[in-house]
Amino acid sequence: MKRKDFITSLFAFIPLGTGFAGITFMGARFITPRKSEKLYRKIFAMNLDDIEVNESKPFFDLTGRELVLVRTGENDVRAISTTCTHLGCKVHWEADKNIFFCPCHNGVFSPEGAVIEGPPPRPLDTYRVQVEGKVVYLYSQIAES
Amino acid sequence: MSLTSWLKKSFPVDDEALAEMSSEPIPNHLKKWWWALGGTPAYMFVVQLVTGFMLIFYYVPDPNQAYESVQHISESVSFGWLIRGVHRWSANIMIASLILHMMRVFFTKSYRAPRELNWMFGVILFVIMLVFGFTGYSLVYEQMSYWAMQVGTEIAGATPLIGPWLADFLKGGDMIGQNTLTRFYAFHVMILPVVSMMLIAVHVYLIRTLGVTDLRFKGEEKKDKKTFPFWPDHATTEFVMVSIIMLMLVILALVFPPHLGAPADPNNTPLHIKPEWYFYPVFRWLKITNLTWGVIGPMVFLVLLFFWPFVDRFFEKLFPKKDVAFWIGVIGALTITIFLVWETLAAH
Repeated sequence: MKRKDFITSLFAFIPLGTGFAGITFMGARFITPRKSEKLYRKIFAMNLDDIEVNESKPFFDLTGRELVLVRTGENDVRAISTTCTHLGCKVHWEADKNIFFCPCHNGVFSPEGAVIEGPPPRPLDTYRVQVEGKVVYLYSQIAES
Repeated sequence: MSLTSWLKKSFPVDDEALAEMSSEPIPNHLKKWWWALGGTPAYMFVVQLVTGFMLIFYYVPDPNQAYESVQHISESVSFGWLIRGVHRWSANIMIASLILHMMRVFFTKSYRAPRELNWMFGVILFVIMLVFGFTGYSLVYEQMSYWAMQVGTEIAGATPLIGPWLADFLKGGDMIGQNTLTRFYAFHVMILPVVSMMLIAVHVYLIRTLGVTDLRFKGEEKKDKKTFPFWPDHATTEFVMVSIIMLMLVILALVFPPHLGAPADPNNTPLHIKPEWYFYPVFRWLKITNLTWGVIGPMVFLVLLFFWPFVDRFFEKLFPKKDVAFWIGVIGALTITIFLVWETLAAH
């Protein structure tokens, strides 16, 4: 190729290549969902006396996800997510065995959410909880993107 | 000008080329249909396209209406149960026959030079058909659909490097919802059919260009190569097979209509949940391994399958007098069968 032809091709292909790269980038951004910042709100969860120590009750956060409120002490409450940390299925509370059981891939968790058996890589997620006097508040995510 | 001559003038067809194309000599072993199993998934694909397009007329890809629309198809639309039944059964037969076809090609070593690339196209088609099945039963939006979407997108999310992006892309957000269903719908009815049709065309083109492997059985090694013409001999055999399969599909749809489970409930995973049978081995594998190996294992299997012609060549050079490929195939097939049976029999 002659020098002149090479320079001509270069001037033709640089804008063309840049254009294609730009379109590809915009296309990739278009099909990728936009991530919005996770926002949390402090909400009323329950009165402390609603359940006894070592008892639990189901609760739904503001996104509609189910969780379990467990009274672990006189003034202690834990909010445990019921979403399995393996592949996102919902765990079942098996009262007779005192465990959370995930029916998808047989993950077993303790009442505190620790992994006892099966493939889950980490304990059940927990929510931030605040006990003020006799009232239990939960920090719930507000919106999903 | 007669209609025929007008048509010939407006749409010129080379009669000789057409005759040559349809009289391709077919090796004698293909007279037995089980040696020609590649045709069956192709017919099933056509059945899928036809019944799928019919289902599109009534299906609504909206989480609030998807389940009801499938219920409407199954219970209210004239012959809806039949169209849905044939669609579902042909999907199952397509995948089953594809597996048998791949096993035939594997054990007869028909993937060897010069057909390596065609084997690779075949493996891509196999994966696409599995994705077809996955996206298809997800659209029903019953409990199994929802949790299959959940588990499937999470598995995609655990893929090394691109996982998080892939999960977001498939879900269309943080949670399974409208965006997920729309994306699965787009894949199932548009993207996958177009890609499959192109790949099937390339696959068939390569079969025609490279020819079918001439298999010789015991006692035939020294005999001359016997062939028979594609048209009308082979075409007739295939036509008979298509008719039998079509009849079988209608009977299956009639006797075993597709089940419609409970509607999707994002807050309750049923205690007894299982995917379609062709995902049983992976489902079982995920139960007995940790997440990393659970995801990497099937990927390694698929990569190995994809590059098998070259892996086989490597083993052939390493152990020239031993049929390593055959024994790897036997172990692989047995392992998958054991996992399949294990998951079928297990309550959990």
